[in-house]
Amino acid sequence: MHWLTDPFQAEFMQRAFLAAIISGTVAPVVGTWVVLRRMANLGDAMSHGTLAGVGLAFAAGVNVLIGAMGAGLLMAVLLLVFSSNRRLGQETIITVLGTAFFAIGVVVISRLDTGVELTHFLFGRVLTVTWGDIWLNLALGGGAVVVVLVLFGELRLATFDHVQAEQVGVRVELVQAVLVLLLAVVVVVSLRAVGTVMSVTMLVTPAATARLLARNLRQMTVLGVLFGVGEAVTGLMLSYHLSAAPGATIGLVAAAAFAVVFALTLPRRMPHHHRPLG
Amino acid sequence: MSDGTPILEVEHLGVRYGTTEALFDVSFTVQPGELIGVIGPNGAGKSTMFKAICGLVNHTGVVEVNGVHCHDHTDRMDLAYIPQRNDSDLNFPITVGELVLAGRRRFRTWWARPTAEDRQIASDSLARVFLPGTESKALTELSGGQLQRAYLARALAQHASVVLLDEALSGVDQPTTLELFDVFQSLAAEGTALLVATHDLALARRRFSRCLAVNGTLRGDGPPADVLSAEVLDATFGSGGHRALAD
Repeated sequence: MHWLTDPFQAEFMQRAFLAAIISGTVAPVVGTWVVLRRMANLGDAMSHGTLAGVGLAFAAGVNVLIGAMGAGLLMAVLLLVFSSNRRLGQETIITVLGTAFFAIGVVVISRLDTGVELTHFLFGRVLTVTWGDIWLNLALGGGAVVVVLVLFGELRLATFDHVQAEQVGVRVELVQAVLVLLLAVVVVVSLRAVGTVMSVTMLVTPAATARLLARNLRQMTVLGVLFGVGEAVTGLMLSYHLSAAPGATIGLVAAAAFAVVFALTLPRRMPHHHRPLG
Repeated sequence: MSDGTPILEVEHLGVRYGTTEALFDVSFTVQPGELIGVIGPNGAGKSTMFKAICGLVNHTGVVEVNGVHCHDHTDRMDLAYIPQRNDSDLNFPITVGELVLAGRRRFRTWWARPTAEDRQIASDSLARVFLPGTESKALTELSGGQLQRAYLARALAQHASVVLLDEALSGVDQPTTLELFDVFQSLAAEGTALLVATHDLALARRRFSRCLAVNGTLRGDGPPADVLSAEVLDATFGSGGHRALAD
């Protein structure tokens, strides 16, 4: 029993659990759409790219979450601007932007003389989360969840059949732009808990696991949140007992859950379940 | 059925993809309740023509729906386009009811949720395509023919006056094809115009009241007996094209 309760004794651990739970809730709500729209690559680039804002904000003495949000927004705007170039595929633009922003972050942080290591930002420092961080994450994350719930129908139409969606009045490009902004919010919300690099894990893995089980979108969203919160809490608890890096441990737990569900649902995806022609 | 006022009017429609001219100078009109087969070889521009009519690709020329000159999507809400099966993610976690309700989106604002009336209309639309009570089924549970009928139900819920079906009959077995034609004919009888792209010339001759032959431009337009003549088929499919019908 002590094994379960010990991690909750210290206040810094209580704050860490709260941060992990917020990230585990918000990330899969947005991640559901990232998985369905096959935007995981953009999530990966965004999670790396926010390091530029983190580094610059840290150097300027500003809250790094605000810097990360700024970098995420700038990346989203640049992506929309550069995507109009038909000669290059969107995947290429995403990779160029993500690596460029990541490089800025690495260069800025490596030149700082503060004793803070790059790995703190890359993999998170959930044990140093403050109440201010918690409130900011609650506000940003809560806002993201509300936006997804309000736009649920529009997201469904624009994702399933964007052609018909446009025909019946859905502003498909606007929905896409909002989703990219939400992606930036999720990266910021996950920053303290798992770091910039691992935030894409919270975004994609619980939602992907839920996708293997869910029959409809509501199920997928709810299951994604259950997996996200469960994996964040379990990972944090394991990291406490194993003295392992919290962000990476959460990522490993999420990957393990995905592997188990993938194996268990394999028979359902066998070829004899393909759609009949008639 | 028709008082002579076209429900769809296409004038000098043209589409270019870069330097390639995919479609040029296509003109025709469609009356309410017409069931039209659109024939042509692969790459002839059938899908491009449908997409241009729906405003999904940049085009030259004029498209009028119910007498309204179409400038953007809001002018084209009376059109329903059912894409080729490969163009949709058929494993998407969506129920049949949610698919059909998508047709109701044109009647409400983005923040409003479907009303009880919307759900009733969706339910009635499914019954009209012989899929009653399937609202809670996942899309993945439907056969190919049932899926096409579900898309038709969405077009009905949308109150579309013209439905464009791109290769709706490909990969569908004979009994299902006949089942789909029953639905087409019942919709046409109620005044909906349907344009169905198909490769099956024998079917086009037997089942449609009118055919459009497309290859880059309109090569033929009229009753199947005229359009499926050796001369038009050769112009559409290349020399020897008429043998395709004999086969």
